[in-house]
Amino acid sequence: MEIDKKKCVGCGNCHAVCPMGVIYLDEDGKSVVNQDECVECFTCYRVLRNEGYLPWFVRAIRKILSSLRLGYLAEVDVCPTGALTPPDLKWPRGVRAAFSDPTTVHPGTGIPGRGTDEMKTNDVTGRLRKGDAGLVVEIGRPGTGAFFRDIEKVAMALAKLKPNFEKENPVTQLMADTETGKMKDDVLNEKVLSAIIEMKIRLERIPVFLHTLQEVQSQVDTIISVGVASRCLPDGSAPHEEWVRKAGYTLSPNGKTNIGLGRPLFKEN
Amino acid sequence: MTHTLHRQGPLESLKNDYIIFAHTARGITRDGSGPKIREFIRICSKYHPVNASDTKHGNIYQDGVDIEKLIADQEDRMGAIAVFTDLDALQKVVEELIRADLGLSINISGLLEEVQACCRRAGIERHSLEHSLGFWGSTDRLPEREILQLNTMCGHGMISFNLLRKLIDQVKVRRITPKKAARIMAKCCKCGVLNPVRAEMLLEKVRKGEKSGPTPRK
Repeated sequence: MEIDKKKCVGCGNCHAVCPMGVIYLDEDGKSVVNQDECVECFTCYRVLRNEGYLPWFVRAIRKILSSLRLGYLAEVDVCPTGALTPPDLKWPRGVRAAFSDPTTVHPGTGIPGRGTDEMKTNDVTGRLRKGDAGLVVEIGRPGTGAFFRDIEKVAMALAKLKPNFEKENPVTQLMADTETGKMKDDVLNEKVLSAIIEMKIRLERIPVFLHTLQEVQSQVDTIISVGVASRCLPDGSAPHEEWVRKAGYTLSPNGKTNIGLGRPLFKEN
Repeated sequence: MTHTLHRQGPLESLKNDYIIFAHTARGITRDGSGPKIREFIRICSKYHPVNASDTKHGNIYQDGVDIEKLIADQEDRMGAIAVFTDLDALQKVVEELIRADLGLSINISGLLEEVQACCRRAGIERHSLEHSLGFWGSTDRLPEREILQLNTMCGHGMISFNLLRKLIDQVKVRRITPKKAARIMAKCCKCGVLNPVRAEMLLEKVRKGEKSGPTPRK
């Protein structure tokens, strides 16, 4: 995101709204975006309603109020002068928006968002079958963001265990080599709000994958949200639960349930 | 996409938080899905969801978007979402969706045992399941518990920790109401999985200085 300094009145509303906290007031009293850390999520532009005031008018009013030792507190969700200016993003910077702005459709997946259908359409796709587990490793969430150089560290550690990286997943599509988990060099210094490494493994391999993740997590300065999924057994139980507990980890009481109403239902041989 | 998987909070708070999705698969159920998604939203709307959205319009807290618009303007696309605060309403929606036999993949995020019981009462067994294994990595960068509970209600993490702190400060000094703060949060969460009623309840607790419990683990 860019901020038009001719329009900005330094109200600071965009500072709070920025999910990465990377907009700050410059020495001239105008807001500026730290471009290295901005993930191009466009939250500031989307959420802050442009009030359309003339900058000189807002500045004059504020000066008068200030001389009277009065302040003006703008509504939280406005940009008084419409100073936020979306840039035209080229490769590789466009990767930031593709992963961070949920309204941007990923060219590779054809859907908005950072991941894939995953287990949400498993009833019709059969992506996760008997004996399979889906492991989703979301790097940068909540609220920290991640550079692809960190995402690569995690991907390369997990790649040694030979998972099936999900082909439709946007992170997989940015890998130079899915055998090693190496990302394309172009994107290593690009930062995103979060990115999901998505893979299919055998259920009994859950412990070794989680232990490997445990080892690599200290090498990245960001938060990682981890999820695991599987096809339920006929009695409705989820076979991954046993393997997660065997590995010494705990599960959330809440989660996501595919209730199996998709048609035609995928039939496993 | 793991976007409703990592919601945080004590059980009593999570009991008011159920998100139901209709989802289509490219090359399988997407073609011809427009009328089915419309019917999904229509069924949900009968039971008063506290939020609803689709991938084209965003959620009903965006300027110029309401549930009627979501119903009226549907094409073949990825799907739609509705958020409910109680199991009774969810139960009725599930039963009606079974009768409607739309053929769309239906997912529910929420307390897993409650959702399973809901499915069984409706005469079906769940198909696939996903759990959160929590937060790893630099967990020292996680915010305070109340902020985390509010932040994780947005599926794509669009509500900044700083905005939440600012809203809490303003709620505490009664500059804005918890309801208004929850609506601002809902605007940030374009995909519409935020539960503004739960957000309002959490903000009200924070305003009164009540501490929130941890998210339990099994």
